[in-house]
Amino acid sequence: MVKFLEYAGRPFVGILEEFGRVMLLFLSATAWAFRRPFRFRVVFKQMETVGVNSLTVVLITAVSSGMVLALQSYYGFRMFRGESLVGATVALSLTREIGPVFTALMVTGRAGSAMAAEIGTMRVKEQIDALYAMSVNPVQFLVMPRVLAGILMLPLLTVVADFVGIAGGYFVGVELLNINSGIFMARIYEMVAMEDIFNGLIKSACFGLILSVVSCYKGFYTTGGAEGVGRAATQAVVISTVSIFISDFFLTAVMF
Amino acid sequence: MSKLTVEAKVGFFVVMGIVLLGYMAMKMGKLSFTREKGYDIEVVFDSVSGLAPDVPVEIAGVEVGRVRDISLKEGKAHVILRIHPDIRIKKDAKAVIRTRGILGDKFIALGRGSEEAPEIRPGERLLHTEPAMDLDSLMGTLQDVATDIKTLSGSLATVLGGAEGEATLKEVFRDFQEMVRTLNRTVQENKENIDLIIANLSDFSKTLKALGGVNTDDVQKIVTNMSQASDRLGTLMEGMNRIVSRINEGKGNLGRLLAEEEAMENLNGALAALREVSEKINQGQGTLGKLVNEDETVSRLNDTLASVQAVSEKINRGEGSIGKLVNDEETVDKINTALTGINDYLQKQETFRTYLDYRGEYLFEQEWAKSYFTLRVQPREDKYYLFQVVDDPAGKKKVTRVIREADGQTYEEERIELEDELKFSAQIAKRYYNLGLRGGFFESTGGVGVDYYLLNDRLTLSLEAFDFDWEDNPHLKFKADFSPLHHIYLTAGYDDFISDDDASFFLGAGIHFADEDIKTLITQIPIPTD
Repeated sequence: MVKFLEYAGRPFVGILEEFGRVMLLFLSATAWAFRRPFRFRVVFKQMETVGVNSLTVVLITAVSSGMVLALQSYYGFRMFRGESLVGATVALSLTREIGPVFTALMVTGRAGSAMAAEIGTMRVKEQIDALYAMSVNPVQFLVMPRVLAGILMLPLLTVVADFVGIAGGYFVGVELLNINSGIFMARIYEMVAMEDIFNGLIKSACFGLILSVVSCYKGFYTTGGAEGVGRAATQAVVISTVSIFISDFFLTAVMF
Repeated sequence: MSKLTVEAKVGFFVVMGIVLLGYMAMKMGKLSFTREKGYDIEVVFDSVSGLAPDVPVEIAGVEVGRVRDISLKEGKAHVILRIHPDIRIKKDAKAVIRTRGILGDKFIALGRGSEEAPEIRPGERLLHTEPAMDLDSLMGTLQDVATDIKTLSGSLATVLGGAEGEATLKEVFRDFQEMVRTLNRTVQENKENIDLIIANLSDFSKTLKALGGVNTDDVQKIVTNMSQASDRLGTLMEGMNRIVSRINEGKGNLGRLLAEEEAMENLNGALAALREVSEKINQGQGTLGKLVNEDETVSRLNDTLASVQAVSEKINRGEGSIGKLVNDEETVDKINTALTGINDYLQKQETFRTYLDYRGEYLFEQEWAKSYFTLRVQPREDKYYLFQVVDDPAGKKKVTRVIREADGQTYEEERIELEDELKFSAQIAKRYYNLGLRGGFFESTGGVGVDYYLLNDRLTLSLEAFDFDWEDNPHLKFKADFSPLHHIYLTAGYDDFISDDDASFFLGAGIHFADEDIKTLITQIPIPTD
């Protein structure tokens, strides 16, 4: 009986333990962020990896999702002659949800997995222990720049995604479906408020934090050689993605 | 890209992101920057159901502000409006909560208010409001309307439905048909009347002609006709006498007929009546008696008959105006054009105005006064002709050269003498909105002028340029006419101001009025239409 209960409880304890370890890693990374030495070059390097190198993927994703949104909502709105609302729908969905979430997912897939694999490889090759030996704190040198880059770059990527997504929606709505361009834009200006955009950016910063901390955590505590590195990368993506979706709900509930 | 440093790439990315964010912020959150500008006014509504802060406030569909705050005070909704600083709102403007679109977005519409009401100051309250017209109350009203219509159609059904109603309707239609027929008949009868009127008219014109002594022949003919007619009357009487005597003797069919008793009685009665009538006629009683016994009447009758005959003959042949009128389609067209012309003429007379104007100007430099008498003929609002007589004390400049010898030297002297002279102006003027252009003769020389009308034409600024042929500068005159009362105006200006020695300020006054008599006189003169 007790064994059964233990069996039932173990995963929850495990999840809680893991969550606690993630939080601890995050807190120590935060602490290390304000301690000398500041290695700006390392931070920039990570910003390039997370931000600049993810740009293409994010652009393609955003344009397609904007176009698809326009197309789909057009068929819906056409039923009651509300085609002019297509633009506002696309813009609102993009700024509030699709921009931040899709960007975070793409960055997770592209950069998060890379983080886990990179740090995991260093772990299994005992390079992290070597860092300790060189009295370089691995959290400050490896984790903190990645987390910082995630928090800073995700909102920027989201802004770009919002913009090109709306542009894609405009192309489909105005050029292909012949919605009046003036009304299309007027409805966007009318319906979309500044706080929609800002809340989306706050969300994306949170997503950036989540995906980078989770990915670093998974890499940092990798065990089991090359196989372990692969597992760490996979788990980093899966856990980050799930966490992004779950936190998205709560963030939305709190903000809107 | 590969040559760029990491920092450059990240920097480019950051700048791009911030620029895009800024662009979107400008476009979509444009009011977040302007929200703080403007002033607040307060409106109190019974209900603001559906109204939210930050919804637009509009005048004539143009956004002039936003709702800043909604609060509940003493059971009523107090709404604070933030109005753009350059928008002025009248104190009695009405605030209405309106609904837009199928989604029912609420906004506040402000009315214009009246012209004379003062403008509202910041913090003050608009007093006139109208509650929101929401869908529920609209539905309620519609339901009431539907009930009314139902009652109406019900009563209509009771009135018109059933056999009785049908019969009534039929009767109504029959009456209507009959009415139309009567109308038709009346029109036809009137047609004859019209013919009669035309005939009378022709008669009248005939008489007029005869008055003019043109148709003396006809008059003679009438006289002969008259004598012939009276002769014929005599033979007719004789014949009748003969017939009556034969009847008395019982000769012929008629005589035999009279032998039957009943017929005889009738005939006797008729004859008695006839006798009575003929006696009366002989005595000159009754209209016919007078007609027969008075020569004058007979002659008149003959006259009339003859002319009617002549007229109808002429008409039949298509001669004369009426004949043409009756026989010729073209005439009808001509009459139509003539009538249109008359209409045009009358309209023209209506817009036609003539003004008389007298003004005196005192020139300070020269210390004399100039008088102007003006007739202004204004066929239309935007153009007029001006005829002016000017009494100018310095009208004629006589330059004489005097050669004088003194102290062995010769001096040549120019002596200028000024003489009083009447000058004439004739100008045409055309007006475009507030600007008037004039051209023609100004004080007996060619020139042009520009007028600018202000304050509902009460103030006129004019600049005239004329006398270009004089050796020195052209005569330029600036003047301002201000009319404080209807017919009186004051004038001031600067005369000949680019001249060396004649430049002078002047002051003056004038009277000015529209003249109906001259107008009627002028409108009688044929004027070519443009």
